Amino acid sequence: MSKRQLAMVMDLNKCIGCQTCTVACKTQWTNRNGREYMYWNNVETYPGEGYPKKWMELGGGFDAAGDLQEGVIPNIEADYGVPWDYNYESLAEQNLLGPDGSGYGKHGAEKAGLRPNVEPTWGPNWDEDQGAGNFPSDNYFFYLPRICNHCTNPGCLSACPRDAIFKREEDGVVLVDLDRCQGYRYCIAGCPYKKIYFNPKISKSEKCILCFPRIEQGLPPACAQQCVGRIRFVGFLDDEESQVYKLVKKHKVALPLRSDYGTQPNIYYVPPTEAPAKFDAEGRIIEGSQRIPMEELETLFGKEVHEVVKTLKAEMDKRKKTGESEVMDLLIAYQHSEMFRLDNNYYQDVAKAKGMPALAPIDDRYIKGKHTKEISHFKAHA
Amino acid sequence: MITIAKSIIATTFVASALSAGGSITAVKVGNDVKPAMLKTTDKLWDTAKAVDVALYPQTTIKMNDKKANATNANNSGKMAKISALYNDKCVAFKIVWADGTESIQDGTSSNLYPDGFAVQMATKFDDPKKLPYIGMGSEGRPVLVHLNKAVTTHYEPNGNKDVSLQVNRHQTNAFDANLTAFDESVKAAAMNEYKRSFISEGFRSMTEIKDGSSKFNMSMDYAKDAKAWSGVMGRHLKDENMDISAAGAIPVAFAVWDGEKMGRDGIKHLSTWIAVDFADKKGNEALVAELTAAPTGDAKAGQANVEMMCAACHTLNAEKQATPFMAPDLSNIGGYSTAAYLTESIVDPSAVVVPGYNRNAHKNFQWYTTDDKGVRTSTMPPMMTDEKMVSDAVAYLMTLKSEVK
Repeated sequence: MSKRQLAMVMDLNKCIGCQTCTVACKTQWTNRNGREYMYWNNVETYPGEGYPKKWMELGGGFDAAGDLQEGVIPNIEADYGVPWDYNYESLAEQNLLGPDGSGYGKHGAEKAGLRPNVEPTWGPNWDEDQGAGNFPSDNYFFYLPRICNHCTNPGCLSACPRDAIFKREEDGVVLVDLDRCQGYRYCIAGCPYKKIYFNPKISKSEKCILCFPRIEQGLPPACAQQCVGRIRFVGFLDDEESQVYKLVKKHKVALPLRSDYGTQPNIYYVPPTEAPAKFDAEGRIIEGSQRIPMEELETLFGKEVHEVVKTLKAEMDKRKKTGESEVMDLLIAYQHSEMFRLDNNYYQDVAKAKGMPALAPIDDRYIKGKHTKEISHFKAHA
Repeated sequence: MITIAKSIIATTFVASALSAGGSITAVKVGNDVKPAMLKTTDKLWDTAKAVDVALYPQTTIKMNDKKANATNANNSGKMAKISALYNDKCVAFKIVWADGTESIQDGTSSNLYPDGFAVQMATKFDDPKKLPYIGMGSEGRPVLVHLNKAVTTHYEPNGNKDVSLQVNRHQTNAFDANLTAFDESVKAAAMNEYKRSFISEGFRSMTEIKDGSSKFNMSMDYAKDAKAWSGVMGRHLKDENMDISAAGAIPVAFAVWDGEKMGRDGIKHLSTWIAVDFADKKGNEALVAELTAAPTGDAKAGQANVEMMCAACHTLNAEKQATPFMAPDLSNIGGYSTAAYLTESIVDPSAVVVPGYNRNAHKNFQWYTTDDKGVRTSTMPPMMTDEKMVSDAVAYLMTLKSEVK
């Protein structure tokens, strides 16, 4: 366990599935160098197949006795989906429309001139917005944004036979030491959220780094900063002034995802409570009906979800009647400055105490090898 | 019961027949031969005598990849042919082993694993009864591991500050010829061979030597007709990490990986410590004697004691299964352990406590405890004290290994 723990709260009532977080993360970290297929941040439709496909059925995590469970390593083509590209050059050379306007490509060509370089068969959000139930009477879905949970008891870390994964003392961010990683992929089997990925180009594992270079400068992770719905709160769990603390610990309206996997995740969710009522056969509203089944929420967030939903509804009611509710004020998310409480000075102090430059992203356990003068390509700091 | 005991004795006999004189003689060659020059097809190898060395599936600890575990559940042992050459400066090994498929890890897929081989050497072996733990060394008894894997071009975060080459090609401002030039410089930054040296004192501590101080070379070739890999590893007798230039014989261990069966760390075949005797060079006779001696104890008597005293925690074979993760699985322990190591571990379980197994993965079964100073104490108490009892147990444990096919 780390000394302090950074955490994020995501308010699922407000997520509109716009993927701005996904794009913020992708352009920042994963659009290059073998990471193209990875989405350190993804927003999937629940219920749905998820990303990677059926990740909840792929094992990993711990059982009740605390034993790491076997897991399955997903396949890029079949489970994540291969990012495809187009032969843009063809645009310059070919008429996209045939002379009779009926088809694509060169005159007489059967296939489009502009086409993807692989035949896409699966990808993230292949089943976006499908959900479950029958339209319009009782269909439902909601969005589930997911990043690495920076678990207190990480399955990936426990699975690594090389000690290549470490949890930072100062904020609990879970990172891969790429110097030590040998690409065995046991971490992927060990993570029940499948939020650690194999980069085939460098043959090493990579994952969400909670934008630690931003965090250390007092900036929130890119996904949180860019979120247009302002659904993401970031702060230290032990900082009673942080909105994360208030939502998770004080008001207890945010719950971790699939805590039954035993990894003690640190990304919390305000469960979705707001959905239109169901319709009967004639299309009339069924008063008081609940479109999102509580059993589904219980699967995701545990038994505590009942209490949380009750609290949220009560607070909403209170706000309507009295105009006052701290929980609602928090969830309205007025100011970024209040939603994100990151202490740049804190990180400066940590770095100073370690005698490191503020941005040295290293696992200092192995800086000075016993047998080699310089094991790491990162320079050892005095 | 009697028939089982008989078959075990028979196995023991066959096994010791294979390892009789089980040392490898390194043949001396001219000093003009350098590791970098040696190829698997080199005529020089004809002068060395290839020795059969049995490699056994690693079953001491179990990894957490469900598919890989299912694929490797019933692995048998493998036979490798190993020969050795040396001169005043260098030593080289050739290993040939059967592998039905050529598995190469390319840079596009997440579910390809490479074939590969490794040569492990002890940096200290003055006391042949206290060699490093076979699974990548142990505290105070470091090993060097030279590893070669069949991979295609791959890239490494290399610390050369060439971040401009690490962007998506679509995000460069380059077009046409400039883009081609960009692609070429990216390719030039790639590595085309995976051959690495590691130093290790227990497998979690294994760390790559990246400062160029390890003077070695490796290569491997697949023969499609024979369905076999040949690998060569040559290294200097002396470099910053190890000095074996004065030795008359050295302990060496070998391991191979099968990519087809998702082999990688923990899923491999490995040998025990094999004595490599430098022809025409004196010294380290005790090491050769130790590593080639047949067990002296009575395996049958040992079996009864081991089953009674050890099997509650240790899995011994398919019939004698203990609770998973309770303690190291011993079903192939005879295949890749020396008798001295087994004796030491029985008499003084804390003498070699490998800082290896991820204790966080199985919190209820702590194989050892660590005090404030980092000293590890085995959870296993010393249970056998009687000398004969121990040697009988060791003789039995040495029979615990898969059949070699």
